[in-house]
Amino acid sequence: MRINSFSVIHSLVFSTGPSLWLGMSIVTVQLGQCGNQIGFEVFDALFRDSHCSQGLCSKRENEAYQASCKERFFREEENGVPVARAVLVDMEPKVINQTLSRAARSGRWTYGQHACFCQRQGSGNNWAYGYSVHGPKHEESIMNLIQKEVEKCDSLSGFFIIMSMAGGTGSGLGAFVTQKLQDQYPSSLKMNQIIWPYGTGEVILQNYNSILTLSHLYRSSDALLIHENDAVHKICARRMNIKQISFRDLNQVLAHQLGSVFQPTYSEDGSFHYRRNPLGDLMEHLVPHPEFKMLSVRNIPQMSENSLAYSTFTWAGLLKHLRQMLISSAKMEEGIDWQVQPPSSGLPPLGKMSAHKDPHFNTSIANLVILRGKDVQSANVEGFKDPALYTSWLEPLHAFSTWKTQRAFGKYEKSAALVSNSQLLVKPLDVIVGKAWNMFASKTQFQKEEQMGVLAWALDVAMSLLAWDNSAACIPAIPLLTTMFITLEYLSSVLFSNMLHMSLSHCSLPMSPHLAVHPSFVLHLLTKYGFLSRHVIFDD
Amino acid sequence: MGRRRHRVEGVARALPEAIAALSRSLPAGPSPEIFRRAKFDRPEAAPVLWQLLLRVLSPLGANDTLTDLAPEAQARVVKSALDSQGYPRSALVQFPEGSSQRSRELLLALSWLLARGPFLEQLLAQTRVQLGDQLPQCEYEALAIPGPLGPHVETESPMDLRLVEWLMGKLRFRWRRLISSQQEQCTLLSKIHLYTRGCHSQKNLDHLSVAETEMLRDPESSQQLLQALESENVRLGAALEWRQCELVFWQWMDTVLDACLSESPAVTSQPTVLPMVSEHGCGELELVKQELQALQEELREVAEPRRAAWEAQVGGLGQGPEWSTTRRALQEAVRQELAALQGSWEPSSDPTQPQRPHRLVRRKDESPGPQGLQAAEMIRTLSTQEAGLKKALHQLQSQCQQELARLAGALPGLIWIMVPGH
Repeated sequence: MRINSFSVIHSLVFSTGPSLWLGMSIVTVQLGQCGNQIGFEVFDALFRDSHCSQGLCSKRENEAYQASCKERFFREEENGVPVARAVLVDMEPKVINQTLSRAARSGRWTYGQHACFCQRQGSGNNWAYGYSVHGPKHEESIMNLIQKEVEKCDSLSGFFIIMSMAGGTGSGLGAFVTQKLQDQYPSSLKMNQIIWPYGTGEVILQNYNSILTLSHLYRSSDALLIHENDAVHKICARRMNIKQISFRDLNQVLAHQLGSVFQPTYSEDGSFHYRRNPLGDLMEHLVPHPEFKMLSVRNIPQMSENSLAYSTFTWAGLLKHLRQMLISSAKMEEGIDWQVQPPSSGLPPLGKMSAHKDPHFNTSIANLVILRGKDVQSANVEGFKDPALYTSWLEPLHAFSTWKTQRAFGKYEKSAALVSNSQLLVKPLDVIVGKAWNMFASKTQFQKEEQMGVLAWALDVAMSLLAWDNSAACIPAIPLLTTMFITLEYLSSVLFSNMLHMSLSHCSLPMSPHLAVHPSFVLHLLTKYGFLSRHVIFDD
Repeated sequence: MGRRRHRVEGVARALPEAIAALSRSLPAGPSPEIFRRAKFDRPEAAPVLWQLLLRVLSPLGANDTLTDLAPEAQARVVKSALDSQGYPRSALVQFPEGSSQRSRELLLALSWLLARGPFLEQLLAQTRVQLGDQLPQCEYEALAIPGPLGPHVETESPMDLRLVEWLMGKLRFRWRRLISSQQEQCTLLSKIHLYTRGCHSQKNLDHLSVAETEMLRDPESSQQLLQALESENVRLGAALEWRQCELVFWQWMDTVLDACLSESPAVTSQPTVLPMVSEHGCGELELVKQELQALQEELREVAEPRRAAWEAQVGGLGQGPEWSTTRRALQEAVRQELAALQGSWEPSSDPTQPQRPHRLVRRKDESPGPQGLQAAEMIRTLSTQEAGLKKALHQLQSQCQQELARLAGALPGLIWIMVPGH
């Protein structure tokens, strides 16, 4: 007989019964302007939802829900005001001060007194500045802050790192911090909340920054949850009817999506206890494969809370729309293309070509659907278990999971969220890599700072390549610039090959963990872009 | 005549008692009647024996999940466990799964397990009632009884590599979660020990363990504890009894084996290993000695030509006075490597290695007392072991890399760029 089981120990220490067995905590690192603004909205949304009076469930259950959310994202201080488990980092003081004062003004919750780190320098939208200059310089201070926050957790599930991909601080410093977290807390989970920039964004170097960020994070992070500015913008414009869309509106929609994923849900054994470690469960379901780490999130209904009074929803309707959003790669619940259907499994009729998959059809590797609200037990998710939705090598039994809770989210009587590991990000990634490639290849319109930036970037990337596994050292004799070139090719190929495998996955191509590059191809590229015949010199 | 009958009767009485003692000492032991039926290969004995084997072969705490399996799956688990322990009789493995068959084979398997080592003692150690707090998962415990594979996916067709990577990733995540929850458990244990300082009646313990604290909080659990201790006592008593009269059981098992052989001589073409208890030591030792000698011969054969070749290559180098420092440095390096190798070889001859479970006690002063073991020492031992294992892992990894490089070199037109960091 094992008396000292975990729940007993827990209940001894916390003097609560085993039924209020609290969950593990998540520490959030907010990086850069984007990260800090969004971080505030996330904590605010979580807090408001957990203290929402409606809830639509029993009082006891509501208390359990609140307690679970609170333990995960906040901690208690002496004066009773919950303190967010967060560390704020930025290279400029303005946004951090704004964030801190907004939190303090609300009076409902606040940030820790010494939880922020800022400088007066800025990063000039330069990834290399964030990664190679600010990172090492401020490593100790930042990691100390994080350590202090971790020590205040009774049990740490992992980290959220909120950052944008386009700027300099969020992207470069974010990649650096994630790597340091990997080194210092190897058994904790890390999820990067990444803000995907607008396609028509203003930052010139945003495509370089994005590629570098993604390739570094792929190595050191466990999951990349992508939030696309374009998608969120559309939701604001069309579904929420906001005339002048500000960043605050975008951030609030984003926070709503995140909250509807990470607020408490019942654990697997159906016993109406709240799940202890949603971050761990989510990662285990969606991103165990090391090559497929990018996730997107969709939620439904997307209308604003004020319009809810005029609508009623059924689970069948919500799930049908959500499924079609997944299949047709829709970003919004409006304008969904209902023509896109999964490939039929029967034999092709005579005279026609073999059943080809609709090119717009989105194949998934794994999906997680989260349902909140009234009568959630009656919701039918069979539509998501169709094998045609998934790749050939993973059955729906392994690929699909559902989380539920009776307790409604905010004022939405019924709401559903979908976290998906699928081809939803293939097109946006295509766009970014293509633009970065063109920019690099043409290298005509650089200003001086950008040349410095590109040199720093190139050196960094080359150093990373040379630091790799020594058995790849069949290329020691090739000079630095060509190494740099191969690196860019490799980076985009890795990202491309992920997309390639995702799009061809119905042909069960084996995935090779390394990439073979034929040297004549490399020489051809070098000649084509003129690197062989002249040196590119950047003077100081 | 009378004396012989008396002796036979004596034996006839001793056997059921021995079997009864055995079944009392096993967890969920079957009745002696089952044993008798199994000797005659009766089908009704089989399911009980399958369950028993499942129970004794599965690792700690897995019992609940394993009893939910279908009978075929249970049979598979038992067979794979027996296989991994080196069970020599193929009769059990060859025939298709069926829970109402092979009860005699199951009986033979059970007695093989009992005969080959301190199996019963290990079982009893596994399920002892703990009053104190134990170290979360000490290495010696985990190595004592190798667990069987869990229910696994049966694939006739080759598996997609991506699925394998997916499953490996899941395993890695669970591993990390296990580590996190162990860290959490340690933090909480530390809190309990702090809060209950000065509460224990024994001065050298000073604070309460979790079980003791729970007893104070909830008197019903002390009843449960009492019951558990009582049933453990019963089992221990039965095990002692068994040890005294087990000879009778082995003689009876001989007859079972004869019955088996007479029925199907073709099956058991390999020599079955059911040694009598007394022969236990000698046979194995001989075998080991022979293996060692063979290994030494092999090493010598391999080393000689290599040394000769090296000497031929080096020639007269390394003999002069200017080589003395280099030679000394080389000797030092070689000595260190040999010491490291030797250290990694010797498993548990280290005196600081705990031979039996220790209770966790938090203390202000430094002295652990005669029986005790300081945490720092324990940590040091575990760290050296960890370092040794890491080195072994690196060696294996570099071997793999060399192999890959060799394969890559075999294709002249290619540059291989490895994905970093896995």
